[in-house]
Amino acid sequence: MPAITRTWIAFAAVGTGLIHVALVIGSPLALGIPLAILGVTEFAWGIVAFTRDKLPFARAAMVTAVSPLIAWGLLVTAAITLQTPTLAAVLDVVPWGIAAIFQLFVAGMLSLHARREREGKRTSAATPGAARYLVALMLGALAVSALTTPALAATEAGIYAQPHGEHDDSFTPQRDAPTSETGEDLFTVPLHEGH
Amino acid sequence: MKKSPNRLLGTVFGAVYILVGLLGFTVTNGVGFFATEGGLLLGLFEVNIFHNVAHILIGAALLIAGLSNVKAARTVNSTVGFAYLALGFAGLLLVGSALNILALNAADNVLHFASAVVLLAVGLGADKRAAHATA
Repeated sequence: MPAITRTWIAFAAVGTGLIHVALVIGSPLALGIPLAILGVTEFAWGIVAFTRDKLPFARAAMVTAVSPLIAWGLLVTAAITLQTPTLAAVLDVVPWGIAAIFQLFVAGMLSLHARREREGKRTSAATPGAARYLVALMLGALAVSALTTPALAATEAGIYAQPHGEHDDSFTPQRDAPTSETGEDLFTVPLHEGH
Repeated sequence: MKKSPNRLLGTVFGAVYILVGLLGFTVTNGVGFFATEGGLLLGLFEVNIFHNVAHILIGAALLIAGLSNVKAARTVNSTVGFAYLALGFAGLLLVGSALNILALNAADNVLHFASAVVLLAVGLGADKRAAHATA
């Protein structure tokens, strides 16, 4: 696998891990524990992926990348069907959706690589020029941080985070602010009126 | 140098850090060596004299290693990356406290984290084969 692709996959895994760990706060215990394990695993896998020539546990990583997506879809369906706003509030589209983008990227790249390997195409670690590698690495880091930051800000942990140097009792979390329009009604079915 | 990301990054980051260290002295007139309130570099990044000296020393280490060989560049990039990561976390706690002997502010922390990510990613991820060979 080309070194640049491997770096981007590792960055995406670290970003997903951070988002999943941040989602633990405010989640019910039954969802929080698997999220914590998943987040820490993704983060550690991302760090190890940086240090190896070949991505570690590629097949298991593909499954791990896709399974939270399926779980999210099922939980959203359950929240809507069973009309449980507490569950729906935990499944906010911003952090879960951004994590989903990272997961799809990781899963897509891994499956593409697996298919190329099966078909016997060139799979050796290509060595790009130093400048090209550095530019690609910085672009990857920028893209992942640009996506991870709003995702983290939208989690329960981020909503209660206070701006730097403003630690006092007058702070109101963004979600509790009077003119809040944070899409809390995202999963509630609108009332059917008329006739 | 054109073939090794670690050497290129070490050289470029080293030169930039030395420049930043020198430029820091233009905004630290009358600021104490360990003062917790420093001058603002580029109107954003707070520095005191100790901070400037640290920038110059770190820059020199990165530059010398970058100009030397792959193994040295890789080691120094990773080490400085780890140090910046630790400093980034420490900075979150130090801002506004009496122990803030580097005159850190929030913008400094962001830049330290960004430097840590880039230095660590390249130090740990690039030139793996070259590091095993005699570079």
